[in-house]
Amino acid sequence: MSFLNPFFLFGAVALAVPVLIHLVRREKSEVVRFSSLMFLLKVPKRSVRQQKLKNLLLMVLRLLILALLVAAFMRPYMANSPLAAITGQSQGVVMLLDNSYSMRYGTNFDRMKTEAEKRINALGANDRMTLIVFNNNASVLDRPTSDKSELKARVSSIEPSFGGTRYYEAFVAADRALQQFTGMKRQLIMISDFQRAGWNRSSRENVIAKDVKTEMVNLGVENSTNVGIDNVSVDAASFARTFGGRVTARIHNYRKDQPVTVPASLSINDKEAGGRRSVTIPPNSTALAEFTGFDLPIGATKGKLKIEAMDPLAVDNEFLFSMVRLEKLKVLILDGGKPRQSFYLKSAFASSTELPMEVTVANAETIRAEDLPMYSIVLVNDVPKLSDSVRDRMTELRKSGQQGQFVILGEYADLGWWGNYAALPVKPLEKITATRNLGKSSVVMTSFDRNHGIFKKFQNSAKFTLSTAQFYAYTRMELKPGATALVKFEDGSPAMAEFSGKDRGLVVFASSVDNAVQTGWNDFPLKASFVPMFIEVARYLSHSDEVRDWYALGEGVPVVGSLVGGTAAVVTPSGERVSLGELTAGEQKFFTPEVPGFHEIRVGRQVRVVAVNPPSSEGNLDMIPPGELIDSVQSTAAEAAKAGLFTSDDQLDQARRQLSWWYILGIAILAAIAEIYIANRSNRAAAGTLIPGK
Amino acid sequence: MRIQNLELTARTVVEGFVSGLHQSPYLGFSVDFAEYRTYQPGDELKRIDWNVFARSDKLYVKLYEGETNTRVLILLDMSGSMSYGSGDVKKIDYGKILAACLSYFAYHQRDGVGLVTFDSEIRAHIPAARRTGQLSNIFKEIDHAEASKETAFKKPLRYLAEILNRRGIIVVISDFYDEPSSIIAGLKALKSKGNDIMAFHIMDDYELTFPFEDMAQFEDLETLKKMHVIPEYLRPQYLSILNQHIAELKKGLSGAQIDYTLMNTSKPLDAGLFAYLAARASSV
Repeated sequence: MSFLNPFFLFGAVALAVPVLIHLVRREKSEVVRFSSLMFLLKVPKRSVRQQKLKNLLLMVLRLLILALLVAAFMRPYMANSPLAAITGQSQGVVMLLDNSYSMRYGTNFDRMKTEAEKRINALGANDRMTLIVFNNNASVLDRPTSDKSELKARVSSIEPSFGGTRYYEAFVAADRALQQFTGMKRQLIMISDFQRAGWNRSSRENVIAKDVKTEMVNLGVENSTNVGIDNVSVDAASFARTFGGRVTARIHNYRKDQPVTVPASLSINDKEAGGRRSVTIPPNSTALAEFTGFDLPIGATKGKLKIEAMDPLAVDNEFLFSMVRLEKLKVLILDGGKPRQSFYLKSAFASSTELPMEVTVANAETIRAEDLPMYSIVLVNDVPKLSDSVRDRMTELRKSGQQGQFVILGEYADLGWWGNYAALPVKPLEKITATRNLGKSSVVMTSFDRNHGIFKKFQNSAKFTLSTAQFYAYTRMELKPGATALVKFEDGSPAMAEFSGKDRGLVVFASSVDNAVQTGWNDFPLKASFVPMFIEVARYLSHSDEVRDWYALGEGVPVVGSLVGGTAAVVTPSGERVSLGELTAGEQKFFTPEVPGFHEIRVGRQVRVVAVNPPSSEGNLDMIPPGELIDSVQSTAAEAAKAGLFTSDDQLDQARRQLSWWYILGIAILAAIAEIYIANRSNRAAAGTLIPGK
Repeated sequence: MRIQNLELTARTVVEGFVSGLHQSPYLGFSVDFAEYRTYQPGDELKRIDWNVFARSDKLYVKLYEGETNTRVLILLDMSGSMSYGSGDVKKIDYGKILAACLSYFAYHQRDGVGLVTFDSEIRAHIPAARRTGQLSNIFKEIDHAEASKETAFKKPLRYLAEILNRRGIIVVISDFYDEPSSIIAGLKALKSKGNDIMAFHIMDDYELTFPFEDMAQFEDLETLKKMHVIPEYLRPQYLSILNQHIAELKKGLSGAQIDYTLMNTSKPLDAGLFAYLAARASSV
């Protein structure tokens, strides 16, 4: 036991006061000469003895009250639970069982169960145990119990998971469970392979109290012979029958002693495709295996990359991904019918082999609204205005996510009409001629949003630049609330803009892009960045960049009610159907897969396949020494002293340990009540006290 | 206290007390002729001396000088406890004045007066007599007496019972700090010899009420023993025992037809003198 306010011990001096008063008064009491003590001596001795006893009791009570008050103000606390000392052998045990993906290595999982059963058998009759299973998350298996058969049944019911490893969460859950064992010796047992990847904290975390006895049961392997696929990268959307891109697998050899050669193969919809590769990987290193030139059917495709490695961890020898083969992108360019007005745009789109497009050019005045839904992308290339029916239909299609739109406000645009077009993210103000309005020959586009979908591809490219194009005239635009500028001219005026969030899907550009050279607006179509930028514009507006090849387990998968919405559901690899409820058009929900494998996401009639892989970090079985790990989470005596005497960070635990001063205060109050009662009774009885003279 | 003072005090007290009475019922009880006085209307006819009337044809009333063979012996307790006094007057002083007053009173009643001072033993004994200088001797003895030692009635009373061979009145002035049974037994022995006995129990006001407040060491004036006393706690039991003691004395003495008077030193002596007169009257 220790004290929070040991200085109050000086208050114990007060104990001497009543004794001193008694002695001083006894010594210095006045002598009264009285005729005879005959009658005084006749006061019954029993009464005197009783009174002496009562007085003694009163004095003891008063001293006790003072002592208790001093003790209470010293704020005693228990470093260990006082009951633990009393109960002796009784202990509360929390056993952390690792069922992460890496525990599938060899017979690790069975060994874990065997070790757990040994610990259960070793429990005393009064001991209680809580089992916590952990991977990414930690979950407590039922309440603490002393029933060994029940504990064993719980252990045998544990299955290995596909989750990663997070020790911190496990320790937090263990600490919470340990707090239930008030008044018992506390012990923490952890059975794990102690993967270093499970501990990513650089600083110490005081989670486990100092008084908790720990036992780390290490099932880790010193020299792992695992070989696994870390990652597969693939362009998930394809438009060609024969896949022109590359499926690249990164294969990791975790062995530190020797290189390994493993055959790698790719299967598309369970049929081998792209041939086999033999990959030799140096020790503790990675190698790439690439596949290309295989045929893809229309629609969603399930891909699986497999290595034939004879290692004890089989689960990372396969890697799933999904692909989708799209038909040619239908693009409609609406212009004013001027000669060669859409020449450069059409040429740019037609030049794309990676993203095949079927481009139609039509006059904005003659196009029928009912023809619009067949196009994935509509570019309005510098027209004065649109008919109301076309405008309204375009708004509908954009809102439903069915169509991406691009509006160019150039020489012929009626700024008054476009200014009233609510869907436009900008308000066009005036047409600017550099020489006339700015006093210089031209302006350039100086900055662009590298994180935007259009420019993401050029994020790390030094070659892509927009600033080479000279703009002699442009439309000055003001951003509407909620809109962002994707590209800006050197004077800060937006060159390209879009609404962010839900209203995105319509991009506006502030200058002509076609016969601009002739009209004298700019030379942008002649620059190298023109074609790639507009191909990326098309990719962005068609949403084909949003198709993901695979997700990691635990990652949220977006489910979008893109066109008209409908009932959303996910069919898991085991065939179970998980309903996500109704989705309206454009609404987005997230689904978190719990098992790896191909998941079918259905929204209305649309079906999408999502590949989910276990976390690749689990393949790395490098160990963190168990001692180092427990030292990182358990408070030391020095930290406990520094933190204000306590070994646990838990506020409740601290409060509970300090509670004793309330009990002491309570006892002091009871003693005071007893003192008052006895003193009053004594007064009522008015018995005398007589101390025999010297 | 000087003898003259004692005598003066006694005379003042007694005469003041007597003059306050409307009529002395005791004058004329004696048989010796004293003088003649002319008849005054209201005088009893039987008291007219008819011989003188026959000789001188005048009415004279015959007055007699009182004479008695009654002996009054005053027993004055001189034990240490009698020297206690919470106020100006100690019990012993009160007792001395009472003894002096009674001596004076008795002497002038023509009674033989004697004095015995005692504690656990007889300290002085002046046999009862009515000779010249008797009163002076008594006053001298009273004056010189000093309180000391313990009270013990058994031995002095037994001694007196042995030596007293004439009946009389015995006045005991004491604080009676002895066992009631011992006191009563001793006085009964004297009573059985035909004496009229009067017991004056002299107590200080503090003894009767025990008004002490602070814890103190109480010292016994007789034994000089000390004890720590918390009066607050002890008072009820003390008073209870004291009252029991007084009740026992009263009961025991009245049972033996002995007059008992409790006298508080803070009160005047009248009660004592009345008691004496009442007893004296009944003894004639």
